[in-house]
Amino acid sequence: MTYLAAVNTTALAVFAFVVGITLVVTYFASKRVSTATDFWAAGRGLTGPQNGFAIAGDYMSAASFLGIAGLIYLFGFDGFLYSVGFLVAFLAVLFLLAERMRNSGKYTMADVLSFRLNQRPARSAAALGTLAVVAFYLIAQMVGAGVLIEALVGIDFSLAVVLTGAFMIIYIVAGGMLATSWVQIIKAFLLMAAAAVMSVWVMAKTSANPVELFRDARAESPEGQKYLEPGLFLATPLDTLSLGLGLVLGTAGLPHILMRFFTVPDAKAARSSVMWAVALIGAFYLMTTFLGFGARAILGTAGEEAAGTGGNLALPNLAENLGGEWFLAIVAGVAFATILAVVAGLVISASGAVAHDLWSNVVRKGTDSEQEEVVVAKIAAVSIGAIAIAIAVIGGAGLNVSFMVGLAFAVAASANFPALLLALTWRRFNTTGAVTGVLIGVFSSVLLVVISPKVWPGPDSEGGLLSFYDLANPGIISIPLGFIGCWLGTVLSREEEAERSFDELYVRSETGLGAEEATGLRLTGGSDSKRTPAEPAVTR
Amino acid sequence: MSAVHGDGSGAPDGGAGTAAGPGGDRQIDWVAAERSPEFRELVKKRQGFVVPATIFFMAWYLGFILLAGYAPDFMGREFLSDGLTVGYVLALTQFLMVWGLGWAYVRRADRVFDPLAEKAAARALQGDDGSEREEVPAR
Repeated sequence: MTYLAAVNTTALAVFAFVVGITLVVTYFASKRVSTATDFWAAGRGLTGPQNGFAIAGDYMSAASFLGIAGLIYLFGFDGFLYSVGFLVAFLAVLFLLAERMRNSGKYTMADVLSFRLNQRPARSAAALGTLAVVAFYLIAQMVGAGVLIEALVGIDFSLAVVLTGAFMIIYIVAGGMLATSWVQIIKAFLLMAAAAVMSVWVMAKTSANPVELFRDARAESPEGQKYLEPGLFLATPLDTLSLGLGLVLGTAGLPHILMRFFTVPDAKAARSSVMWAVALIGAFYLMTTFLGFGARAILGTAGEEAAGTGGNLALPNLAENLGGEWFLAIVAGVAFATILAVVAGLVISASGAVAHDLWSNVVRKGTDSEQEEVVVAKIAAVSIGAIAIAIAVIGGAGLNVSFMVGLAFAVAASANFPALLLALTWRRFNTTGAVTGVLIGVFSSVLLVVISPKVWPGPDSEGGLLSFYDLANPGIISIPLGFIGCWLGTVLSREEEAERSFDELYVRSETGLGAEEATGLRLTGGSDSKRTPAEPAVTR
Repeated sequence: MSAVHGDGSGAPDGGAGTAAGPGGDRQIDWVAAERSPEFRELVKKRQGFVVPATIFFMAWYLGFILLAGYAPDFMGREFLSDGLTVGYVLALTQFLMVWGLGWAYVRRADRVFDPLAEKAAARALQGDDGSEREEVPAR
């Protein structure tokens, strides 16, 4: 077995422990999950705090844990800009979408669109938006998982990718959203604890004064004072703005985050879950200060080579420096849990787009049974997981994924967010507008990223494919294009039904009148006696 | 807002907005509900918070990002103590803004918007003749 030649057995033990806990949770969940509402929305039985932890677990990917710490380590202040953007985004979610999603949706964001728009084109467009976001995000996470596990545990890249994908599929197929939610909750606990312990440790090892930490970090950087200023990583001002816009509006269009609001009983719980998430996510991103600047102060310039591409291994290296082999293993295990929770959330939202939107409502036109919907969802989850594994394995560790998470946010901000916001607030908005908006949003983001310098690195094409276009982040162009697409399609067509049904969606989304009922699913304990026997297949 | 929900035991009729039971006249008049003074007040109060709050947070955040992009020297200036930069302090104000505005919104929603939403929902469920409607099916 050459695969296991240099395996770090301590890390392997921690990984096995993390996976063990999640599989126990999945086992309990599998006994409870039966209906479509169980499968996609965990019976809408999560409390606000539970869902807040799950949102935090769903949202903070390895890009947050390892990526931001690495960026701060390498480029100083610019890395912290990501922390700020990722957090501020939740105000847009809270003010504009969280409660409205809960009040007017069922399992997917397409439910909200198709409420007043022509069912089949609107659902197809929303499914495209969802699947595009998930595809880019998922492949980035899978490749990241493979690279990390190979570096930290010594398991071969391909095997690591296959294992990650396999566990993800097991959570979803066996335990649906209930298992996924609890994997995310556990991950959020682990992540917060790991970040807190490391922060305290960094402060104990340097000085108890954060300002002194900045001075120490600056002293260890060849850039000097520039290390504490913006501009080392994001060199073009317009690109900085573009990134910021994409982060803030993109979060409000991420299908796996929006889906989380269907797992609570009502709008009040939806907004309280955002506040819990904001408290956790804010505390975490604040701690990236200690992780990132701490890594610079402690590891210094000598650690740059070992930090790898994008500095992703700076944090594990810091952990090893602080607490040796065991602490490194624990931090690696937390990073693994982080990836597992995010990919599970992504794939379950994609399964909703495939089974609930495309299969049940577009192909079968609502004639299928709920049983069939759940079976198709599981088949979809397995297929999407398998495709993601295949792409990651074939692409290999060298696959350039640096632009993919940014692209996922750009698509979410340019395609999903405009269509959702306008469907909920603009009376005149119609099907043509939604379809053109989503299509323009998706394709403009992808095209702009394809011609960007991130995809064409190297001396020959320093400025990207086109010499006059050098933006790495497409948001500043693609987000307005998405809105213009929605507007243009709308004003160029007339659809009286969409205008008429606006009143109904508007009243429902603001008041919660007729919102989907909770069925009271719990992971353990309690009786499910109050649950309705089986929901009739209410499809629209 | 659970008051306006049914007990969840009844099987909804389902279908495209057919709140109609045996009698089609029991359907909710959504246009009237949207025009009711209760709903208008809810929308007015909520927008009175959300619109200015959204403008404020976008302006404060984009201002920060623009400064980071176009004024790196200003952002790198010392604030109170060597090592602490204006940029980092402004970043901290973003954290405070998110927690503060989020807290203010949730508090206002609990105290003002939820009671208004319940009133608006009750009004919608009540026909012009004052008769109570049954639960509204989820869609």
